[in-house]
Amino acid sequence: MAKIVAIAEHRNGKLTDATLELCKAAKELAGALGAEPAVAIMSKDDTLAKEVAKYIPLVLSVTNAALEGYTADGYTQAIKAVVETQDVKGVLVPHSYDGVDYAAKVAMAIGAGIVSNCNKAAVEGGSVVFTRNTYNGKIQEMKKVNTDKFVATFEKGAYDMEAAGGAGTVTAVSADIANVRTKSKGIIETMAGAVDISQAKIIVSGGRGCKDADKYKDVIVSLAQKLGGEYAASRPVVDSGWTDPARQVGQSGKTVAPDLYLAAGISGAIQHVAGMKGSKCIVAINKDPEAPIFNIATYGIVGDLFEVIPAMKEKL
Amino acid sequence: MKIAVCLKQVPDMESKFKILEDKKIDESQIAFKINDFDNYAVEAALQLKEKAGGEVVIVTCGPDRSAKDIRQAFAMGADWGIHVNDPAVEAGDNFVVASTLQKAIESIGGVELVLTGVQAEDDQAAVTGVMLADLMGWPHCTNVKKLEVNGTSLTVNRELEGGLNEVLEMSAPAVLTVQSGINEPRYPTLPGIMKAKKKRLDVKKAADIGASAAAKTDFIKMFFPVSEHKAEIIQGDAATAAAKLVEKLKNEAKVI
Ligand SMILES: Cc1cc2nc3c(=O)[nH]c(=O)nc-3n(C[C@H](O)[C@H](O)[C@H](O)COP(=O)(O)OP(=O)(O)OC[C@H]3O[C@@H](n4cnc5c(N)ncnc54)[C@H](O)[C@@H]3O)c2cc1C
Ligand SMILES: Cc1cc2nc3c(=O)[nH]c(=O)nc-3n(C[C@H](O)[C@H](O)[C@H](O)COP(=O)(O)OP(=O)(O)OC[C@H]3O[C@@H](n4cnc5c(N)ncnc54)[C@H](O)[C@@H]3O)c2cc1C
Repeated sequence: MAKIVAIAEHRNGKLTDATLELCKAAKELAGALGAEPAVAIMSKDDTLAKEVAKYIPLVLSVTNAALEGYTADGYTQAIKAVVETQDVKGVLVPHSYDGVDYAAKVAMAIGAGIVSNCNKAAVEGGSVVFTRNTYNGKIQEMKKVNTDKFVATFEKGAYDMEAAGGAGTVTAVSADIANVRTKSKGIIETMAGAVDISQAKIIVSGGRGCKDADKYKDVIVSLAQKLGGEYAASRPVVDSGWTDPARQVGQSGKTVAPDLYLAAGISGAIQHVAGMKGSKCIVAINKDPEAPIFNIATYGIVGDLFEVIPAMKEKL
Repeated sequence: MKIAVCLKQVPDMESKFKILEDKKIDESQIAFKINDFDNYAVEAALQLKEKAGGEVVIVTCGPDRSAKDIRQAFAMGADWGIHVNDPAVEAGDNFVVASTLQKAIESIGGVELVLTGVQAEDDQAAVTGVMLADLMGWPHCTNVKKLEVNGTSLTVNRELEGGLNEVLEMSAPAVLTVQSGINEPRYPTLPGIMKAKKKRLDVKKAADIGASAAAKTDFIKMFFPVSEHKAEIIQGDAATAAAKLVEKLKNEAKVI
């Protein structure tokens, strides 16, 4: 039977949440297509293959010394071997840092169309229709492939995590891995800092809408101090050097879940939201009524942050 | 080192978007600019050139309006460019764009490093650079946060989740997708803007460079998202809304 194969992701010997989300996606899609759901896992041995078998009936395990760490060349050759030997119709990949690094290369290697950064997939008239975010989340589009096979990457949270339950079969797939052209020299921490914003109960966060370093300080830092909380920022604020990297919230920064997260001049890009959506109460202040941040906020004010925040301070 | 930078012109994301016939954006009310990530790629290329010499060539697929932002990169200091202006490429997908960029870069000759942005702000696919590398037969690295070049040896930091970076070694020729924050992009100077007007910009059709790839994906439609959870919008002028918000945070949400 044709297979829908999710690619497992692991770091430091543990499966990531995205892997369990894609187990759910593979089961749903395979069910709708009359195909078989499976996971392919690349590793140096099959310890994690047995672990992921709790979530999916079939695990295709590629073990090879060259797969000890992640490389685009290694993963692509291994996944190609899986596709060529296992009657694979679709390959599901997390839209994570590693996923983005190899998914398009796998699509090229197997001659498939790729739809990336999807938040939904549904079967209509026998083909898979993917929904994805565009224009910084302001617009969604639907796409499908016109090739026999497909590759799709899914943003984090697109599916709920599959719960452990069964005891799937682990099948070994062999792959020759040669000519890996990137060499890892190790992983380093780049955002270490004196402050740990993840413990704060109140966070006031400023984005590109704060305009410059002085205004960011005048408005965001002072409101945070007045509320007895910490100040934080979106990525462009850190990229521009208005505050230090330890205060960045999001996919490439800190994950926080305070009682109050006040986002001012932040549009609500998915990579930012990934780091704060667990907050108890979210306030958005933005002059653009269509900013995606209003879709996840508890309270919103459509207005100029340079007028709203000083007025708030007066009332505190 | 001869460096090609792939530059896409995108709408300013703060624009008010209107969808026409479920399939395209009404461009009449929209301002366009350089894709933010590509701006960092241009700066990275210029810094390499300043250190070790060479040439920086801009490659863009896009309609007439794109020329403005290619000239913007010229004003920053890029040497010359290729503008593939062809409706057939516009109607294609990432594979068509990557294949066209490949042919354009091959037509330059002697390119040893290609820089793209991590992703385009409008379509957010984050696949073009990786496809391009595969088509060229070159290695790649995505989300590059730091780059050092020593002859043909490259040392790059690949950004990972939560502030981690993986340090990688690889050799040119290669394709790197550049992440924001890798540098501080310069603003064009007045003399730069004057010089930019005279710099060479070759305008091509896909056929001129031998590009003829067909799309592997089909676009179906676009629409505005319907959110299940919309914020309670607090009405009134700034002072009124601010006062109501403080009141709600104190007495309703009880978080301050
Ligand atoms: C791999 C990857 C990882 C990333 N990681 C992160 C991450 O960890 N964290 C992160 O934040 N981003 C991250 N990003 C970037 C992310 O995609 C967005 O570009 C970023 O979050 C946008 O920041 P912003 O909302 O401050 O800026 P913008 O999107 O430019 O939004 C600015 C907002 O301010 C509003 N505004 C302007 N002036 C005013 C005013 N006077 N009053 C009120 N509102 C105003 C505008 O309407 C707009 O909505 C990542 C991107 C990639 C590709
Ligand atoms: C109205 C509309 C209709 C569309 N219709 C279709 C359709 O029918 N079928 C379909 O498959 N796709 C369609 N697209 C998607 C469009 O083809 C994509 O813009 C293109 O494939 C590039 O993808 P991306 O911009 O997401 O690139 P990404 O992969 O996110 O871009 C990464 C990097 O690649 C480089 N790059 C990307 N594009 C270019 C470029 N044009 N010139 C130079 N460098 C570039 C830049 O360095 C950029 O930073 C449509 C888009 C729009 C707006």
